[in-house]
Amino acid sequence: MSRVRDRVGFLDRLGKGWKSPVRLFLSVQVSQATQDRTAIAMIHARELTKHYNDLKRGKFVAVGGIDFDAREGQIYGLLGPNGAGKTTTLRILSTVLRPTSGSVTVNGYDVVAQPSMVRRQIGFMSANTAVYDRMTAWEMVEYFGRLHGIPAEQLRERMERLFDRLQMNDIRDLLGAKMSTGMKQKVSIARAIVHDPPVMVFDEATAGLDVLVARALLDAVAELRDHGKCVVFSTHIMREAERLCDRIAVMHRGRILTEGTLDDLRNNHGEDDLEELFYQLISESEACYQRELVAGMDRQAGAGEGG
Amino acid sequence: MNWSNVILILTRELRDQARDRRTIFMIAVLPILLYPLVIYPLLGMSMQFLEKKASRVLIAGASGLMGREDLPPLLDPEDSSRFDVALFADAGQDRLLDVTPFSDEPTRLSQPAKDVSEQVRELVRDGKYDGAVVLPVDLAEKLAEFRRAIEAEETAPRVEVKPEIVYSTANEKSQIAFARLYPVLNRWAQRIGETNLEAAGIPADAARPLDVGAADVAGETRFKGAAIWSKVLPIVLLLWAMTGAFYPAIDLCAGEKERGTLETLLSSPAERTEIVLGKLLTIMVFSIATAGLNLLSMGMTGWLLLSRMPNLGTPPIESIAWLTLALIPVAALYSALCLALAAFAKSTKEGQYYLMPLLLISMPLVLIPMTPAAELNLGSALIPVTGIVLLLRNLLEGAYWESLRYVPVVGLVTVACCVASIRWAVEQFNSEAVLFRESERLDLGLWLKNVFRNRQPTPTASAAVVCAISILVLKVFIELAASRSSAAFTFRNFAVQTILLQVAVILGPALILAFSLTTSPIETLRLRLPLRLSHLMAVPAAMLLAVLLHPGIGAMRVAIMRLYPISEDMGVQLERVQALFSSAPLWQALALIALAPAICEELAFRGFVLSGFRHLGRKWRAILFSAVFFGLAHGLLQQSINAIIVGIVIGYICVQTGSIWPGMFFHLVNNSIGVLIARMTPEMQEQYPILQTLFGATGESGVIYTWPVVLVTGLLAAAILAWFSLMPVSKSAEELQREEIARLRDAGPEIWE
Repeated sequence: MSRVRDRVGFLDRLGKGWKSPVRLFLSVQVSQATQDRTAIAMIHARELTKHYNDLKRGKFVAVGGIDFDAREGQIYGLLGPNGAGKTTTLRILSTVLRPTSGSVTVNGYDVVAQPSMVRRQIGFMSANTAVYDRMTAWEMVEYFGRLHGIPAEQLRERMERLFDRLQMNDIRDLLGAKMSTGMKQKVSIARAIVHDPPVMVFDEATAGLDVLVARALLDAVAELRDHGKCVVFSTHIMREAERLCDRIAVMHRGRILTEGTLDDLRNNHGEDDLEELFYQLISESEACYQRELVAGMDRQAGAGEGG
Repeated sequence: MNWSNVILILTRELRDQARDRRTIFMIAVLPILLYPLVIYPLLGMSMQFLEKKASRVLIAGASGLMGREDLPPLLDPEDSSRFDVALFADAGQDRLLDVTPFSDEPTRLSQPAKDVSEQVRELVRDGKYDGAVVLPVDLAEKLAEFRRAIEAEETAPRVEVKPEIVYSTANEKSQIAFARLYPVLNRWAQRIGETNLEAAGIPADAARPLDVGAADVAGETRFKGAAIWSKVLPIVLLLWAMTGAFYPAIDLCAGEKERGTLETLLSSPAERTEIVLGKLLTIMVFSIATAGLNLLSMGMTGWLLLSRMPNLGTPPIESIAWLTLALIPVAALYSALCLALAAFAKSTKEGQYYLMPLLLISMPLVLIPMTPAAELNLGSALIPVTGIVLLLRNLLEGAYWESLRYVPVVGLVTVACCVASIRWAVEQFNSEAVLFRESERLDLGLWLKNVFRNRQPTPTASAAVVCAISILVLKVFIELAASRSSAAFTFRNFAVQTILLQVAVILGPALILAFSLTTSPIETLRLRLPLRLSHLMAVPAAMLLAVLLHPGIGAMRVAIMRLYPISEDMGVQLERVQALFSSAPLWQALALIALAPAICEELAFRGFVLSGFRHLGRKWRAILFSAVFFGLAHGLLQQSINAIIVGIVIGYICVQTGSIWPGMFFHLVNNSIGVLIARMTPEMQEQYPILQTLFGATGESGVIYTWPVVLVTGLLAAAILAWFSLMPVSKSAEELQREEIARLRDAGPEIWE
């Protein structure tokens, strides 16, 4: 405990200029940590923010200060239209992007300070994580298993089981370039879970898949949850979220509009149909955003006239 | 870092490339086929065109020689379109000159009024003939007169009229024709001389009592023909090592980005350094393989070809060993460079664009050592690439002991360049702006608006680069313009030029950019007055430091001059400038040499440029980069190196105090001392004994301090620098962030315990 206090003291001394992700996090978290260590969720995001610089829009807020917790044995759904900030959030989780401010920890490791430890905790799969063209399915999975430092014997055993369970034995020696989308997706799943990580991240993983393959993937995700993994699953398809997720966060324009279990959402918003609920939330938020935009422009114009 | 991951990535990448048929074709098959298939026939063809084709030659005035028995024949008596066979050293060469008598030339009749010689010149200029010989009409008569005088043993008047070869250096064919005509006419003149001697009863050999022989000793040392090989082989090696590294590098970085597998790799636990090293080793393997196979294939083809060219000789067998040895550092250097460039490119297409700039930068470094004047010394060994090429050239020429002394230097420079390139590449892999660059529409207006909208109190690192480069480019133009102007070399003109350079070229861009690209020019240029006591003290401390460091800097300047001696022309020019300043009033010289640079250069380089580089997140890197640009703005290489070192000191003072003023005063004092010392005369030294203790004799490179002075002042300067290092430094946001991340990383996960 004294160690934590020391750090906070040091962080406070650092000066005002920069909002440290860790400091922000610590200021919220210290009291909780003293009460109950297990209270820290597997994935723990606080005030997570990511700005991009965009030529047309100027400073573009992709993620605007979101908080969420995802726990073991839980599928956490990020639901939102295209451009809501889901992919950016998950890329920050997988450490390929750095947050502008705020903090995320994965199994206790900070994504900014300890990225390589975070990557060991995560199996990451997205529409952007492709399969090598000139590698067979077996080689691809083996490669990533070895990068994770799994001993050869154990890796072999685990891969045999994985290939059996995902029914990939017939594509074992097929080069990535010759695989169908479904086959590639299977290889990606195998690649992402070969090191048995406590956290799995699926970013729009069913995009572009046919019903059969998508269904198989969803089953695999559910199975992972049943094995006690913490799964973060982003999608814009209501049915998937409804079927799979234990908790859902609806995202729009970089913010979480509402968050809770499916029942929470239904009760809080008095709407049974998730799709309808989603549509209402998003259109309300969008209308609000547009109003603000117009008001902002009016203010600017007013200031211009006044000055 | 985990080496097993590096090896894992290396083997994967190698296997990946090996499965690509095109890569294998480009690297392995193409060079083996290329040389025999292309070079051999090409060489044969060019030989046919250049060597065998006869030159068309016009001859005017030859009719006067026809049928004269007293003169040796110029043209073949049987065939007037050939020179006499006896005038050629080797048989068959007479066929290479196709002669047309002027009397047969059809255009002659159209301009009867013109002088013959003029008409001939016109015909050669227009390219109708490759060359021409104009014989004066009375040549035969004059020669006969001369002979008669000799026979009569009278003093003979020299023949004033002379035959003339007309040719044009603007035309290669014409140059060849000249090279063929000249020995023919020379030999004819010689034969006339011989007949003259015979007529006078003297043996013909009297005019040429001996023949000059030539002996080539290279053959005895196995380095026969090594000179040409020592020039060709290093170039071939470098070019192929670069090409061999470039294409795999693009495929491994930009290609992987394009195919979407990079994000897969980046989300694996492999560290960025491991990924970079794995890829670097792969690229190196391909670079070495490409260069090696090309050299081998070229060597084989060359060996077969050269067996027909006795004067060239085959390269000595040791050269293969040296080339193999040199290949490793060369490949490492280019692989690291290509990797960094390829990591920066967002697509393979963009990556391809970077080949040409890389080639353009490499070419001078490769070609300079090819000039005969370039030789391996400490100075040239310190230049990257050039050092390797020169070392290789010396080794190929068999100068082992001479070369081996420089191996550590060349090795060190190459390793340093490799490390810098690798670190650059790792940074590319860490930069999300580079990894996830999306292609945006190019819209200059939008971009400018964006730059303006996102202005910060201090400039970005890119703005710093823009400022520094615009200063350098403007400076080049101003200096070119000045060198072309015909203004007299007076102090007045020189002063105007210096002020123009300082204010318009150096200060101008910095001020314009500071006011347009930042929200706080005061903070950017660090103009706040030093109000804290320690900062107030910093100004006199910096001035004292300048005085104390001057002997050390002077000693360094001498060392640099020894390392890279100034050419004689340049030395003369510098002396002229020096004399100009010594003759001007002291206050003017001080204002120009000390005050103007202290204000303008400091505001530009320690103000704008250094402020921008502080956003890189590393204090020392910012200081070093700003100092390098400061050095580059100093024209001469020798001055640049010196300026870089001074720039580092001033940059450090500036960063430590957070203010421009102490550095400005340092600069002012440093330059002023230089002006004052240049005005010191021997008489002054005699008058004030202290000057004799401080300064030794006036040497070639100006006045220098005595060694004890350098040592003592150096120690005192170190103490002042130590005082500066104790100051609390205000850090940029990026520097704070980097420090905190490093601290947290060291703390590890026990932060939760």
